[in-house]
Amino acid sequence: MKTFEPPPGEVVELCQATVWEGLDLMGIGLFRLNDEGCLIQINNAARGILGIDDTQGCEKLHISKVDHILGSGLADQLDSILHDSTAFVRRNLRCTNSHGRFMVLNLCCIPISSTKPEDREVLGIVEDCINGHRDAASEINVRRQLSILSEVAAALSSSSELPQILKIILTGATASQGLCFNRAFLFLYDEQKNRLRGHMAVGPSSPDEAGDIWRQLDSMRMTLGELLDTHQGKADNKSDAVTSLITGLSIDLNEESVIRSTCQRGSWINLGNVPQIDPVTTTFIERLKTSRIALVPMVSKGSLRGLLAADNYITGQPISDDAVRLLQILANQAAVAMERAKLYDNERERAQQLQRTNALLAESQDQIIRIEKMSVIGELTSAVAHELRNPLTIIGGFANLLLKSPLSDEHREYLNIISSEIKRTESVLNHVLDFSLASRNENQLIDFSQLSERSLQLLLGRRQQTDISISLSLAHEKLMVYGNCDQLSHAIYQFLKLIAEDVIPPGTAEVRTEREKAQACLWVRVSCPDSTRDKTIKTLRQTLTSNKTSQRLTVLVAAETIKLHGGEYGVALGNDGLPSLYVKLPLTTEDEGEPTHLDR
Amino acid sequence: MKVSQRILIVDDEELIRLLCEKELRQDGYEVDTACNGAEAVEKASQGDFGVIVLDIEMPDISGLEVLHKLRTAVPETPIILHSAYTTYKSDFQSWLADEYIVKSSDIAALKQKIEQLLEPR
Repeated sequence: MKTFEPPPGEVVELCQATVWEGLDLMGIGLFRLNDEGCLIQINNAARGILGIDDTQGCEKLHISKVDHILGSGLADQLDSILHDSTAFVRRNLRCTNSHGRFMVLNLCCIPISSTKPEDREVLGIVEDCINGHRDAASEINVRRQLSILSEVAAALSSSSELPQILKIILTGATASQGLCFNRAFLFLYDEQKNRLRGHMAVGPSSPDEAGDIWRQLDSMRMTLGELLDTHQGKADNKSDAVTSLITGLSIDLNEESVIRSTCQRGSWINLGNVPQIDPVTTTFIERLKTSRIALVPMVSKGSLRGLLAADNYITGQPISDDAVRLLQILANQAAVAMERAKLYDNERERAQQLQRTNALLAESQDQIIRIEKMSVIGELTSAVAHELRNPLTIIGGFANLLLKSPLSDEHREYLNIISSEIKRTESVLNHVLDFSLASRNENQLIDFSQLSERSLQLLLGRRQQTDISISLSLAHEKLMVYGNCDQLSHAIYQFLKLIAEDVIPPGTAEVRTEREKAQACLWVRVSCPDSTRDKTIKTLRQTLTSNKTSQRLTVLVAAETIKLHGGEYGVALGNDGLPSLYVKLPLTTEDEGEPTHLDR
Repeated sequence: MKVSQRILIVDDEELIRLLCEKELRQDGYEVDTACNGAEAVEKASQGDFGVIVLDIEMPDISGLEVLHKLRTAVPETPIILHSAYTTYKSDFQSWLADEYIVKSSDIAALKQKIEQLLEPR
């Protein structure tokens, strides 16, 4: 490549011109000072930065006059630059020039040699980096906004309760670590009536209160996340005064208004910028005592959930559109969280309902199993009883046959004993077979009072003795139980028979049915003279635990029947000291054809 | 019309047959026995019985089935079902019989019924 070699003096001139023009184009100021500190050369960019008019001749303009305004300290350091060959550098110097232009300057001044070595000069390079600072500030602001959104989103995602969600959004809007609004109001949407109803608010009600609250919060030095966690579950008493401003306030969205159109559009509005306000919105403003308020609809999946309103009532600071835009983002997050909370509530209710149904099903299943067991027992009992009948017939039959032949008295006596015991055993067998026959019937809903009455009538019809008086009193309400009708009838009959035959001396018995909580109860209250009361009680108890084989079996069968139907029996003493036999069975209600137990 | 005084006892239990035979012979009846349904139908068809006492639970064929066959073979002969089981009373097939007596050590009820059925018609 051919080297261009201009004449010596021309090279410097050419280079200088190129550099000055180039830097001018880049907005970088360049200037030269002589050894007295006067400007001898300056490009256009430097003129603009330093605030030197184009028309003003820069010759003989001492740098101190410029620096007086800039305040860089260059004028004071001039000698040092010129004579000590030290560079002068200032970075991010915030200053204002003579034209009132605010700048952030980077300034660098270095000593240079002129064409005459004895003349020293200062070359100054100056740049206004305010745009870069603006970008940095903007970046910081964006980061702050993202941080707020992130903290609020984290707090919302950890909550599934609606009151907590609402508190989070209001705190995020008003905290100094958040969006710094003075007050925030929340209105919830009533879909049925197409109205917004005032629900909750956060913020001070007066400047004094504001001062107290903000000082207290500042002293706590909490992050937004910590503040949201702290305030989630707490009822803020100091917000009651603010909440009362919107308590009972209802905005009709059927009427045309700014609020309605805001909700319909689904995007925010700064009421301070709206020139004309309708009556509905006017009422709203008057209630909140301010017209400079931002309204932000809370929308999720295209559906309105509520309205968030925020203002700077205490400080009076104007509301920027940026702040409202951010508030809109928070509001949308809250709307999603609200929908999630609603779904969670629905699912929780469903789960609880399923749990209750499961419990009822399990209980019903248990009862069905118990009753089916009874049927199986009945079947087995029947088979055993029938197998016993043939041998008994043979033994008893031949004993009777023998009795017809000539016998000694002793042998006759023995055979009589055999014959009578066989008869007794056959009687027990009949009882057992009655029970097993009852087992073959299907389970059903039974009127307990009617069952008791029939059993008593059967007993009275079969009894020949008339030495006792038995009265019957039935419950007014229907007492429905579930089970095998014949089995239960048999069991109750056996209990009544035991009382009538073995316990009651010539006296009275009162039989009554009644409801006790979730049970149908049969009471047989025995009246007897005081002198025989203790004996009666003892006999009654013994009867239920009788050692006599025939009685034990009948009592056993009756008792097992009651127990397997989920009931109980026993002897109790009344307040008057009179003994009573009781039989209790669980009440059942009919529900869609399937019996269910009442809650105990 | 004079009714045959012969009685056929049908039961798989030997001792039941023996008991009934002795009891009824004591009362002056002629008694024959069969231990299963097939023998019962054969004897009933060949013999002239005034009444047949028939058990139900038998090993080869059920007494109710035998009852049906007997009704075809000897339609005029009264039949008493004599069983340890009470449950067959509600079985409509048992209604073909003239009477249903549950087995007991005291066979007076059975004897009484036999006497009634053997009365001259």
